Amino acid sequence: MKKSLVISVSMVCLVLLAGAFCAVSAAEKVRGVTDTEIIIGQWGPQTGPAALWGAVARGSGVYFDMINEEGGINGRKIKYVLRDDAYQPAKTKAIAKEFVEDIGVFGVACGVGTSPGMAVRDYLMENKVPWVGPATGSRHWTEPFQKYLFALYPRYTDEAYVLTQYATEKLNLKKIGFFYQNDDYGKEGLEGAKKYLDKKGIKLAAEVPVEVTDTDLKSHALKLKESGADAVILWVLPKHAATILGQAKAAGFQPQWIASSTLSDAPLMYKLTKGLWEGVIYANFLDMDNPKVKKYLEAQKKFAANEQNTGVFFIAGFMFVEPMVEGLRRAGKDLNPDTFVKAMETIQHWNDWIGHDCTFTPQDHQGMKSVFLSKCGPQGQALKISDWLTYPEGK
Amino acid sequence: MNFFFDLVIGGLSIGACYALVALAMVIIYKTSEVPNFAQGEMAMISTFVAYSLMNTYNLGFWPTAGITLLFALVLGMILEVAFLRPAKDPSILGLIVITLGAEMILYGLAGWKWGANQNPFPVPFSEYSGISPGGVMITEINLWTFVTSLVLMLLLFLFFRFTKLGVAMKAVQQNHFAAKAMGIPTRRVLSFTWGLSSVTGAVAGMLIAPISTLDPNMMLDPMLKGFAGAVLGGMTSLPGAALGGYLLGLIENFFGGYVSLEFKSVVAFGVIVLILCVKPSGLFVRHFERKV
Repeated sequence: MKKSLVISVSMVCLVLLAGAFCAVSAAEKVRGVTDTEIIIGQWGPQTGPAALWGAVARGSGVYFDMINEEGGINGRKIKYVLRDDAYQPAKTKAIAKEFVEDIGVFGVACGVGTSPGMAVRDYLMENKVPWVGPATGSRHWTEPFQKYLFALYPRYTDEAYVLTQYATEKLNLKKIGFFYQNDDYGKEGLEGAKKYLDKKGIKLAAEVPVEVTDTDLKSHALKLKESGADAVILWVLPKHAATILGQAKAAGFQPQWIASSTLSDAPLMYKLTKGLWEGVIYANFLDMDNPKVKKYLEAQKKFAANEQNTGVFFIAGFMFVEPMVEGLRRAGKDLNPDTFVKAMETIQHWNDWIGHDCTFTPQDHQGMKSVFLSKCGPQGQALKISDWLTYPEGK
Repeated sequence: MNFFFDLVIGGLSIGACYALVALAMVIIYKTSEVPNFAQGEMAMISTFVAYSLMNTYNLGFWPTAGITLLFALVLGMILEVAFLRPAKDPSILGLIVITLGAEMILYGLAGWKWGANQNPFPVPFSEYSGISPGGVMITEINLWTFVTSLVLMLLLFLFFRFTKLGVAMKAVQQNHFAAKAMGIPTRRVLSFTWGLSSVTGAVAGMLIAPISTLDPNMMLDPMLKGFAGAVLGGMTSLPGAALGGYLLGLIENFFGGYVSLEFKSVVAFGVIVLILCVKPSGLFVRHFERKV
């Protein structure tokens, strides 16, 4: 009797001790961080319908190479893991699991696509994986508030609001049509446009949805034409933007086209539309004229000489990780998800990057709220037509 | 009223592309009873070859078109010889799975060789201007699509009717064993069938790319629609399948124009289900029952 009591007491003690040990070792060892390394993962479509945007993930890679060459961050080098999810949320899910459970990453950078990101948001947050700069402007990154998630891409709702405001107030175009992808991405754009127009008591002339898989857009073009819109705002894939411009022109319909920042690679769109992109007004979230861009392109020649796509999306891959690297720097040697979050929240009105006015607070993790507008010139060059326009907060 | 006629033109021109894909499917289905799911990717690869010839080797459009069709012919024959022929005692299901495998290989190959980016596909006729009788715009590319598809259909009809090879193909389709006994080189005939189907698909690819963009996914949607068109018209009849393609293009455009754009793409599959329930052998085919 006594003996068994001793045994059971010692067992309990052992278990408690083991538990305490685990806690101690967890405090010492942070997932994805060693004395010499920080592991950062990213998914991005290298194949499939959204592959054009996959350049983002390759851009981030070059930026990390550059940082490593400059000596790394607080004595640690970044180990970067890139996986192709082909824009399929099911694959993104598997990748996130691999990141957390097999590889053990410290954090996740960017990640193209609203639906792929949404498929893994909760999983990453539950596992306290810091995630900076999803390469999409959905508001699901900041609503509801997520402690470990920092959004940079200006929200589509805000961007559409600003674009619609510009079209009605500056260009004096009152009949506005909206051509959008029939999912969260497109619908958030639509919502932003409506938010502005509702305030002015104007109705959209047409709301025309397109499915991701659609090829023939003739009836879409005819619908837009029927509405007699002066301006049509595009919230679609590059492929659909190119097709609708062609089909609309064939139908004798040539409104002022206005495009979201996802279509802001003017030279590429110009080539893809065989010149029809000329005159299109579009939003930008990064400034290609920033002197840093030149430095980044030199880094690309050094680390990714074979890269074919060095336009806006590639450079965006640099931009979305700039604040992350700044946060890692500020977090110092004692790096774990919580010190990282604290460090990120000290970044305020920060402009040492190619975006605009990055600000994080403990209440608001939407780092950037501005876009500027450009017009596509006669040879596909980007002509800046506005300053940074910030979404009117609280209105 | 113009809206109506614009929809008709739109429906007919995309319908012509569906019709070509449907024909390509039926040519193979008729001889081997296998729906070829690699059809779309075969056409996509051929279109990419045309793109490379024009862009990298600066060839004119017409020589390019010629070389591309030749390439498509060889591609189809090679696929048959390399993938389907080695199958031992193949069941229909087994062959279908093989075509799916070939589809994935071709898709991966295109992504590796040409990248997943969208590319513009230049053609020597205008996508935006043409003739406009009564205010309805018919662009040059629309006209070319109509003419090409009709000419190709006529050629196929004549081929199956009046050439020795065409008749041999029909014989192989009707009774493989008897055809062989009659001295028809059935294996060679079969691989030629694949070549012919591949050529038809390539034409469709080169007509679809200019009105959309050229990328590895370009044929995904037209392939499914072409298949739906073929089922609609009848998988065993060339004119039936072609008519089915046209009809589907029209149905889609009218549905998109007057009912709902959200469900425009779904209509094709709704049509398949409906036809399979009501008239499984297709609208334009006499009901066919195998004699025991």
